[in-house]
Amino acid sequence: MLSYIGRRLLFLPLVLFGVTLFIFIAMSFLSPYQLVSSYIKSPDELKNQSLDDLVKKYRLDDPAHIKYFRWLGNILHGNLGYSRSANMHVMDAIKARFPATLELTIFAIIPVVLGGIWLGSISAIHHNSPVDHATRVFAIIGWSLPSFVFGIVLLMYFYGVLGWFPPGRLSTWADMIVLSEGFIRYTGMNTLDAILNREWAVFWDAIRHLIAPTISLSYLWWAFILRITRSSMLDVLNKDYVRTARAKGLPENIVIKRHVRRNAMIPVATVAGFMVLGMLGGLTITETVFDYKGLGLLTATAAQQLDYTCVLGTTMFYGVILVVSNLVVDILYALIDPRVRLD
Amino acid sequence: MKAKALTAVFVALMLVTLGYTGFAQTTDPNTFVYVSFGDPDTLDPTYAYDTASGELIHQLYDNLVAYGKGGVDTLVPMLSTEVPSVANGLLSKDGKTVKFPIRKGVKFHNGAVLTPEDVEYSFERAMLADPSGGPCWMFFEPLFGVQTLKDLACKIGGLQSIDDMQKLDKNLIVKIYEAIDKSVEVEGDYVVFHLATPYPPFMQILAKGASWGSIVNKKWMIENGAWDGKPDTWLKWYDPPKESMTLYEKAMGTGPFKLVTWDHSAAQVVFERFDDYWQGPAKLKTAFIKYISEFNTRKLMLQTGEADAIQVPAMYLDQVRALPGVVVLDHLPSITNTALLFNYTIPIKGNEDIVGSGQLDGKGIPPNFFNDIHVRKAFCYSFDYDAYIEKVALGQGSKPHGPIPAILPFCDTSLEWYSLDLKKAEEEFKTAFGGELWNKGFKLTILYNTGNDNRKTAAEILEAGIEAVNPKFKIDVQGVQWSTYLDKLRASALPVFFLGWHMDFPDAHNFIFPYMHSVGAFSGYCGEDMAELCRREFDDLIAKGIATTDDAIRAEVYKTLQKKAYDLALSMYYVDAQDIRVHRDWVKGYVYSPAYSAYYDFYEVWKEAK
Repeated sequence: MLSYIGRRLLFLPLVLFGVTLFIFIAMSFLSPYQLVSSYIKSPDELKNQSLDDLVKKYRLDDPAHIKYFRWLGNILHGNLGYSRSANMHVMDAIKARFPATLELTIFAIIPVVLGGIWLGSISAIHHNSPVDHATRVFAIIGWSLPSFVFGIVLLMYFYGVLGWFPPGRLSTWADMIVLSEGFIRYTGMNTLDAILNREWAVFWDAIRHLIAPTISLSYLWWAFILRITRSSMLDVLNKDYVRTARAKGLPENIVIKRHVRRNAMIPVATVAGFMVLGMLGGLTITETVFDYKGLGLLTATAAQQLDYTCVLGTTMFYGVILVVSNLVVDILYALIDPRVRLD
Repeated sequence: MKAKALTAVFVALMLVTLGYTGFAQTTDPNTFVYVSFGDPDTLDPTYAYDTASGELIHQLYDNLVAYGKGGVDTLVPMLSTEVPSVANGLLSKDGKTVKFPIRKGVKFHNGAVLTPEDVEYSFERAMLADPSGGPCWMFFEPLFGVQTLKDLACKIGGLQSIDDMQKLDKNLIVKIYEAIDKSVEVEGDYVVFHLATPYPPFMQILAKGASWGSIVNKKWMIENGAWDGKPDTWLKWYDPPKESMTLYEKAMGTGPFKLVTWDHSAAQVVFERFDDYWQGPAKLKTAFIKYISEFNTRKLMLQTGEADAIQVPAMYLDQVRALPGVVVLDHLPSITNTALLFNYTIPIKGNEDIVGSGQLDGKGIPPNFFNDIHVRKAFCYSFDYDAYIEKVALGQGSKPHGPIPAILPFCDTSLEWYSLDLKKAEEEFKTAFGGELWNKGFKLTILYNTGNDNRKTAAEILEAGIEAVNPKFKIDVQGVQWSTYLDKLRASALPVFFLGWHMDFPDAHNFIFPYMHSVGAFSGYCGEDMAELCRREFDDLIAKGIATTDDAIRAEVYKTLQKKAYDLALSMYYVDAQDIRVHRDWVKGYVYSPAYSAYYDFYEVWKEAK
């Protein structure tokens, strides 16, 4: 077991090396003056700028492999570099943005999974009935609706008209409490920090800001979970032991809950795990629409502006998460299912 | 059962949250929230050269002098107790020595008292750091007649060029310091500037609204790792990366607001009132500038009152006009203009996607296409200026009279710029290249950076005009990534391109130089033939215009230059932009100042309790 973990962890630097090398190779197709665009972001900043001076100052005209080794050298000194697009060190940017994404993921995954399973069960139980069709149509609309459209509609109604769920992560007044000296940022997740600091008003405010993106994400992903649940349940419904359960006179809802749904959950759990992973990588569109400053917004802006230090940093970070969580999942499988061995 | 319990908890949470909203929605009369877009670069006045940064620095620092309320015509004292003039003896008759009496009892945010040494240090530190592409050329030009510290080093050391400043000779390092030191000196309670030549807009370069003219605290700066004030150490702080500069995300000024934080990850800057401000404390207690790129989100924040003011591009103006309780100020004269610039020497090799065959054969354009004055004039006659201003700028702009915006002194508003006139365009096209162009036609691609819809439409308006003149004329309008655009621009590969200039200081020279001087900011992208033309026709005149304080001479010089720009159809200036402010009706005390990069001066405004 330990040697397995060790072997898998040894694999990590290799993955990171490959990924970053790939980005650098892609980058070597860009001219130094294209890279300058992360230093001069708009035509208005062209005033008095000598593009040649900038290229020289930031050594953008070095060949890609020299840039790569310089970057690698910095990494070994624990320096991920400075992100022009985020205006901060890449490490700080990730530290600041990841908790936001993590928080949103934690809050969103509950309604996404529970809602999806619930819809999927209804669909499967009422197989090929109008209820099944209606549920699937409802979910598929959410899946097809561009999330920026649905997000804006949500914002317009729940914030613009009703004033309930504002964009951003905190209201201005709550921001002032969080920024005050007495408030300690333990985790960077507003809800958790608010609880730890016993600032209940801030806690509710943070929740209020999480609801709209959560609804938006839920509606988007329900179709996905629904389909997995549905097909997996239909599969189980035809199993012999279900027939046996029915034959021995168990009430239908007990059959569904105990025998069908539980057994149908295994593929759902796997998919949900991957979903969490995907969400942790950043929810670019949702984050943009709701002005929720998370990892997705960071990476997207960086990529747009050819801010390669930041792209590399977030990619590596994501790589680490991916490898480590895959490892955790493997270990969990082994613990849950005695048939799986890790050696 | 579990799912049901969870659902119940979730619904309960929602209900509690909703019940809570009533309290959160009231706007706090002591806190001002302005929502903009586009991140600032830095808080360091020596590095900052973009409006978003200038806006922040504006709230934190004071300058030696300021503009009279809402204008650019008169100057009033600020940290200097008087505005130097020949009449009060503070400006020498030859215009080369300027003395500022420094105000006493002014406090920095840390309680330290302002001294003339702080003022001297502020400018010397700026010049010795001289970040490339930064604002410090505005000190070098009047004080030394050069553009950069490197130029000055060459001049003092008698060198042709310097490859690496870090390898400068020890003696030269000290000599450079001495020259800088002599240009700004403390004499008792005064700070004295020694100019190389008279420089009429020198005071404007230092005035409030110009972030680079901010006064910093010498002692605090040194304690926080800035240049230590010694003659031989400054090279360590020369042309630094912005994030390593002392004031990158810190501030220590005498301004009406203190910096609470620049919260990069939440993309907001928080200010707090400075109670010991020398002009009395501000009315607002706290102010926020937030950066949100989505217009829809900004609009909703304004609508709910969470934002007191927001940034609104002209295209969305009608949407906010419809909101109740929102004040829209538009047609505000901004000292900015935009032009289509011609490249007089277009490279052909590797540039075929834009210039086609590179010859005058109807399938492309020759390298010297725009070197023919008739082509330039024909282009100027083919553009529908009014349509652009009406449909694209949505009325928020006016037709220019040339490179100098109409609002500035010395702009000759009697000169009428080109108008859409396809007859005249046809005449010009028929004369161009001895009539050959008319018979053979041409094909040309105009690039714009994707997302910049105003420029895209401008290009399409031009396309429509030119293609209407002769069916053999073909123009393609194509969007490219900003990085690609920049790359092409640097290679001087774009035959025509759009650029705008926003003023550094309100003076005709600040517009004439980038557009018309052979080493101006834009002429580098316009090819060697244009530079040659500038050297021949404009450079001497431009030098004459800036080196005199005689307004009559200056007026004559700029009138001549403006006329020449017209006669030669040098570039196609097509709009003098106007500005827009949108805020809630409870915002009081707002006065539009064309010289400020700050949309809102938090010291001026307050909120009426509602």
